[in-house]
Amino acid sequence: MYVAVKGGEKAIDNAHALMREQRRGDTAIAELSVEQIKQQLPLAVDRVMNEGSVYDPELAALALKQASGDSVEAIFLLRAYRTTLPRFGYSEPVDTEQMQIERRISGTFKDLPGGQVLGSTYDYTHRLLDFALLAEGDSAPSEQASNNMGVPQSHRSEARTEAENSDKLEACPRVLELLNQEGLIEQSRGDGEEDITPRDLTRQPVNYPVERAVRLQNLIRGDEGFLLSLSYSSMRGYGDSHPFAGEMRSGRVSVELVPEELGFPIEIGEVMLTECEMVNQFHGSKDQPPQFTRGYGIAMGRAERKAMSVALVERALRAEELGEAVNYPTQDQEFVLSHTDCVSANGFVSHLKLPHYVDFQSELEMIRRLRKAASEASAQPSKDKADTAGEEI
Amino acid sequence: MSVQVNSMNRGAVRSDLLMTGFDDAVQDAQKVFRKVLKAMSEPGTILTADLTDKTPGALNKSSWEIALTLFDADTKIWLSPTLAGDDAVVSNLRFHCQCPMVSEPAEADFALALADELPELKALNWGNSEYPDQATTLIVQVEAITNQTQDNDEGWCLNGPGIETERGLTVAGLPYSFRRDLVNSRKRFPLGVDCVFCADDQLVALPRSTEIKPSDSEEGIRNTIQQEAN
Amino acid sequence: MSSQLSSQLNKPATQTAGAEGYNFAYLDEQSKRMIRRAMLKAVAIPGYQVPFGGREMPLPHGWGTGGMQLTATVIGEADTLKVIDQGADDTTNAVSIRRFFAKTAGVATTEHTADASLIQTRHRIPERQLRNDQILIYQVPIPEPLRFIEPRETETRKMHALREYGAMQVKLYEDVARFGHIATSYDYPVMVNDRYMMDPSPIPKFDNPKMNQMPALQLFGAGFEKRIYAVPPYTRVVSLDFDDYPFEVQSWEESCSICGSDHSFLDEVIMDDAGNKMFVCSDTDYCRERVEQGFTAENPEGQQGLTPEHNQVQQENKKQDDTKAEEMAL
Repeated sequence: MYVAVKGGEKAIDNAHALMREQRRGDTAIAELSVEQIKQQLPLAVDRVMNEGSVYDPELAALALKQASGDSVEAIFLLRAYRTTLPRFGYSEPVDTEQMQIERRISGTFKDLPGGQVLGSTYDYTHRLLDFALLAEGDSAPSEQASNNMGVPQSHRSEARTEAENSDKLEACPRVLELLNQEGLIEQSRGDGEEDITPRDLTRQPVNYPVERAVRLQNLIRGDEGFLLSLSYSSMRGYGDSHPFAGEMRSGRVSVELVPEELGFPIEIGEVMLTECEMVNQFHGSKDQPPQFTRGYGIAMGRAERKAMSVALVERALRAEELGEAVNYPTQDQEFVLSHTDCVSANGFVSHLKLPHYVDFQSELEMIRRLRKAASEASAQPSKDKADTAGEEI
Repeated sequence: MSVQVNSMNRGAVRSDLLMTGFDDAVQDAQKVFRKVLKAMSEPGTILTADLTDKTPGALNKSSWEIALTLFDADTKIWLSPTLAGDDAVVSNLRFHCQCPMVSEPAEADFALALADELPELKALNWGNSEYPDQATTLIVQVEAITNQTQDNDEGWCLNGPGIETERGLTVAGLPYSFRRDLVNSRKRFPLGVDCVFCADDQLVALPRSTEIKPSDSEEGIRNTIQQEAN
Repeated sequence: MSSQLSSQLNKPATQTAGAEGYNFAYLDEQSKRMIRRAMLKAVAIPGYQVPFGGREMPLPHGWGTGGMQLTATVIGEADTLKVIDQGADDTTNAVSIRRFFAKTAGVATTEHTADASLIQTRHRIPERQLRNDQILIYQVPIPEPLRFIEPRETETRKMHALREYGAMQVKLYEDVARFGHIATSYDYPVMVNDRYMMDPSPIPKFDNPKMNQMPALQLFGAGFEKRIYAVPPYTRVVSLDFDDYPFEVQSWEESCSICGSDHSFLDEVIMDDAGNKMFVCSDTDYCRERVEQGFTAENPEGQQGLTPEHNQVQQENKKQDDTKAEEMAL
């Protein structure tokens, strides 16, 4: 007699034991520490923090270790942890104009107040594999001690000098504010518009259409690859996007909180942020003269690709608000915002691995029945034809 | 958003008026919720919420326990005048639920009222056709609730989802105009207000999906008698 | 408010049997309150999808996070939980979810449908008729029945608001025109209380008639779509169809190879490389119960002939068919 497959619990336990073994790899090789991941894979850590929506490099590094380096799995781990955290309060908005600049570039002006600060970047490196790293040496061991910001040698001294210079400035004004002085770019807020506390999309449902603050939250948590490709498409004709990188800045910003009992802000820490402001064209409308418009992106850690992609997609999503035609996927907020989340996307795609015996059985039953009906029909063609012919007469 | 509303509405909490909430915040809230869920999914069914010893001010047991179970910083609450003027009620709701209070019934997620201070039904939020769930839930403290409908002229005969055949219900002490408006509001389903009536430690719900017929009509009485015979 | 006062007045939550560091049944109380409020609205507007601030759960979206959030919100210490996937208690995902609640809520679990107060399910309704003191919680991947006709939420909201369901009738009728049948075999749309079109989740249409006038409360949770909807007990649920093409459920020429049942949903099992197959009940508990009562493949009528249990199912199916016949036209 047939006996239904049992033992699900044991199978699950064994599968997880095997996964742990695989993650550890060859035990003759030293185990990777969370601190090593945090220190030596910081860009992977930053991505996990961004999409995991928690600023905590240590937990992000732990998640990466636990996930065998799979960033989507690591993001999921961090998200599931985040859900359970109590809310102690809400910080004041961070002021990125007061950022301690580590890197700052503008694609629109050769020079500007505060200067261009190249900082740490893979830009301009020749993408040649560095076999010195393979030999477990370091291509520039002498850097280690002094370079706590991970700045490559080629730019280091220059970058430091510029960074130090910029530190001396009272503030490093945003490039787009310079355009604002001439009225060439839209105001970042309308006349008389006040700051409102944005809705928290992790606590409240999203009902379309959604306001810009919620769109931005969604994009910042969104999958980097998806946003990168969407922004790419919007610059390739699938969107009316002709952007300039007005400014990209990275650095540390202090976070302040107003405790109820004190009534004034206190600094609770610093976060590393990357902010990008894109300048886009706007042809004007009945009410408004032609001017530049903004696309905004911000991300935790050093995440330029993410910040730029967010800024580009964010601008494309403003099409409706600016009276532009909505013709392409990247301009369609429901399409974009409901598919950005890698945790959701991964969950839904991977759920196909779950049993679907019942639905499949239903389909089998139906297809067999349809085929049977079809073959019975074709077995009696002459009769049908005769009937039809009869009707026609 | 909730943060701002909350801090704007934070008035003085009088600590001398505070009292304990649930003995076990997690388990008791779950128990009361299951009662309310049962009440809402089987309209006209009378349930008991009796987990607290004392209630603040004019609140009765069942409405106090519903507040502890469902109100928090994300729900806007409207209180009828006597309750709004009762420091014990306001202080304890603020303290235990951190709920913002609103002055317009239409803005409220929950309106909590005494039966003789009910706002006009149309003054509450009925939701809109795309999001009917955004409607107010109205919690009314009443004198008594019973499934008997014979010996009074306030009885209702209920029909609809959650009711196998029919169910009789009498909510004592509701103003005539409110009873009339509630019956008439059914024409606008899925818009409408969901009601919970609280009498001491008893509660009964009338969601907007329930059809209400006054049972003082001959037909209603006959049906109720028949139901009891079953 | 001083924290001292706060701790005096708010007695600590119980740490009953929950996983260390987590609240009872995993979700925090604020999230539970939010879901509870949404659930009450769902019950008040049968079949309407209530948006809620869905939380991230420690399982992937699409693996039952919606159902789990509802279970976590409804469940109490007194409950007995059953979890099924494809009708079976021992499929890996059902095992995983049942363990999750055994660990985080410390509640009793069971595989017996009759003993459960809460049943979380994916893709099936148990064969045994549920009672009024039970709650059935469905895991829902895509809650919108109109989604494959109109992908935009803004548009489908309007269609529901206006009760504008012609597009679905057209889709079903296109099947009839092409195949001579309605070719939807699962996820088959229903009308709830004559007002809202509802997606019954991907249960086979075989199970649709069980939803009508079910004595148990039915709750539906879609995790990543962040929607909750409900069917209160004793509510009219009618499968869409046409006067000339009435709704009909699947049937098998075979019977269960274990208990001999000829009236339950059967899973097909491939036995060998030659493609030989056999059929067994998808509802493992129902099959077990029948075997205990003496039904076998060789003796499908049972050792003492029909048992009351079998009669009840047969009568129930007949009753549902009769109701169906009355309600054929939409």
